[in-house]
Amino acid sequence: MRTATLALMLLAGGACAGVARPQVQNAPPQAGASMWVEPKDIATRDLYHGPWGQEHAPDPKDVYDLVELKHSGVNLGMTVRDSKGQEWSVKQPYPGNLDSEAPVEVAVSRLLSGIGYHQPPVYYLPAFTLKDDFGRKVVIGGRFRPKLPELKEIGDWDWAQNPFVGSKEYQGLIVALMMFNSTDLKNSNNSLYEKKDGDLVQQWYVARDVGSALGDTQRMAPRKNHIDSFEQMPFILGVNTSGFVEFAYNGWYKNLVENRIKPEDVVWISEQFGRLSDKQMHDAFRAGGYDPDVAARFIARLREKIQQGRSLTLAATRD
Amino acid sequence: MTLIVKNRFLGDRWRSAAVITNLVLIFLCAAPTGAAAQETLPVPDGYNEPQGFIGEPDAITRVAIFADRHLGKGDLNNGLYWDFGKMVPGAGWLAIGPGYRQWFGKDTMLVDGSVAYSWNHYKTAQARMLLPKFAKSRLALGTQVRWVDFGEIDYFGVGPDTLESARTTFGIEATHAVAHATLRPTRWFDIDAEIGLLSPTLKDAGPGPVAAADHPNFMPSQVALKIDTRNFREHPTSGVLLRASAAHFEDRDTGAFTHRRYEGEAAGFVPMFGERVVLGLHGLMMTTPIEDGRVPFYLLPSLGGANSLRSYADYRFHDRSLLLATAELRLAVMTHVDLALFADAGNVAPRMEDLDLDKQSFGAGLRFHTRRLTFARVDVANGAEGWRFLFRLTDPLAFSRVDRRATVVPIP
Repeated sequence: MRTATLALMLLAGGACAGVARPQVQNAPPQAGASMWVEPKDIATRDLYHGPWGQEHAPDPKDVYDLVELKHSGVNLGMTVRDSKGQEWSVKQPYPGNLDSEAPVEVAVSRLLSGIGYHQPPVYYLPAFTLKDDFGRKVVIGGRFRPKLPELKEIGDWDWAQNPFVGSKEYQGLIVALMMFNSTDLKNSNNSLYEKKDGDLVQQWYVARDVGSALGDTQRMAPRKNHIDSFEQMPFILGVNTSGFVEFAYNGWYKNLVENRIKPEDVVWISEQFGRLSDKQMHDAFRAGGYDPDVAARFIARLREKIQQGRSLTLAATRD
Repeated sequence: MTLIVKNRFLGDRWRSAAVITNLVLIFLCAAPTGAAAQETLPVPDGYNEPQGFIGEPDAITRVAIFADRHLGKGDLNNGLYWDFGKMVPGAGWLAIGPGYRQWFGKDTMLVDGSVAYSWNHYKTAQARMLLPKFAKSRLALGTQVRWVDFGEIDYFGVGPDTLESARTTFGIEATHAVAHATLRPTRWFDIDAEIGLLSPTLKDAGPGPVAAADHPNFMPSQVALKIDTRNFREHPTSGVLLRASAAHFEDRDTGAFTHRRYEGEAAGFVPMFGERVVLGLHGLMMTTPIEDGRVPFYLLPSLGGANSLRSYADYRFHDRSLLLATAELRLAVMTHVDLALFADAGNVAPRMEDLDLDKQSFGAGLRFHTRRLTFARVDVANGAEGWRFLFRLTDPLAFSRVDRRATVVPIP
């Protein structure tokens, strides 16, 4: 029994390591570096096709050549190449479609990009035609992310050490991830991208892998993409005597939120999400392949959280 | 939705027109635009997990999720991993150890190494290299070295009529190096050939005096044909496995133990009621011709234990020929818990024509599983030698022996 217990502890520990507590001691961002850009056109943003638009979307009728299988993480996936030579990273659901991350990643990415956070192009296909050495077959789809020359991933970025620690967009991003009940906040899920637009080169700080969300935040086997859990789990528990917001989050990364988030941070991000229309929210979930009824429940709960976040205005004002 | 509600107050004459108007509006609102919204392909069959007959406690679902995420990807992930639960009968309910694997060159080469230690103090270590993509994946080449140290293995003597009270134990240490080539004309059919060197050493007290000549160095070689259409290897719910093999064990020292072994195996999984009920059938026959040389007792086919006759002890019967038939009916009580009713029958004999199904086990159990993986099971089995309770971390019909490359002695 001791051996079994030790084994389970090792398994659990290996899978779930926390992050260091962020400190506001970093150099200011260099020119061209950003994680968020204030949206001037939020009301007209297309959250179905997303910030990269229809032109970067995968063709559902194309035949995709297998390049290689995915060899990291808990999700199944692969790299494929379409008939035009474009390579795609595909994240597929688990067999059985239990708590699949792929739809979540697309929907959450749409919501984040809708309010101004940088996001890579991600799309969802429920199924696609795969061609490997033994021929073609229709396989389960998932999240498709094209590997674009103008968006080069140059590494990870650290929640604890980056130029934006303490900024409103950084604090707001953490609150947004709390709002989505994101559980897997490890640094390797953050990507630093080099975004080229002609001669202009920007550095994008992106919360890239946002698929572990829309469920609950329990440490052992948190539910993802699970509407019942998402509806049941509280968001904000209150504001403590030090003036920091206490979240219901009980995952492995409490260092990111404990005694760090002020009511005004929550109000700010809630106001941003509040600017999205119902149609935009439905479009975001439709982009992730959600059934409209399930999407409506997720959106209703998100609206409740946004409202709860806005209600902290009074607390912020009192301070 | 608002329009539809208001339509209740319209007269009948307008109702049809209003319904059509609503449908058009719903279509215009809901219909995606652009390339990404083109008609998508239908999701292939077998995508969703069959739901159980009764609701499942949240704790069981979370355990299933945890097991699936950490144990369900098989050989896919690079880096450190835990080799978990995959050892021979007799090792005990738990075997675990660290391993490291790495895929190279867009899946053209796999390098893997692992060690494991079991509840009953069995030890294994293995290293392998696989080149699976020659000739557009029609040819795979590989090599593996496996070392085993099984300290205490039950042994009851040779033949179908041995007594349970005759139990003795022996230990064995063996190293097996093998090179193999696999032809895969199709996704579901392969022809495999392997040749290797096997060096067993008996340890401690054996069943009677053990002479050095009883554990010579062997050069085993084998050809096998396999048809495999199972949907998931570690929790199959549909498909068949058909396998035939011929092996030659050449005694490199004296030649006295040179022998052949032929195997035939068939398994089928029949899903019913949307896979909420699955019937699994399995048949296995092994034989070494009587005219061949002696077969050392630790290389004789054996019957009994968690994967064969479940009411009998591990390795309960040994002889030159073996027959086993198993039927297991699984009912999805919950989404991740099946109730299993099973019957095992078989026997061993010196010659194939003497085989029968006289040894029998009947029982029931629970299977804790995900879509692709049985991660735990409990079985209660009854037979002529009484009751046995089993807890294992593998599926009884996963046939890991089929995929195990280097021969582990003794044969499970």
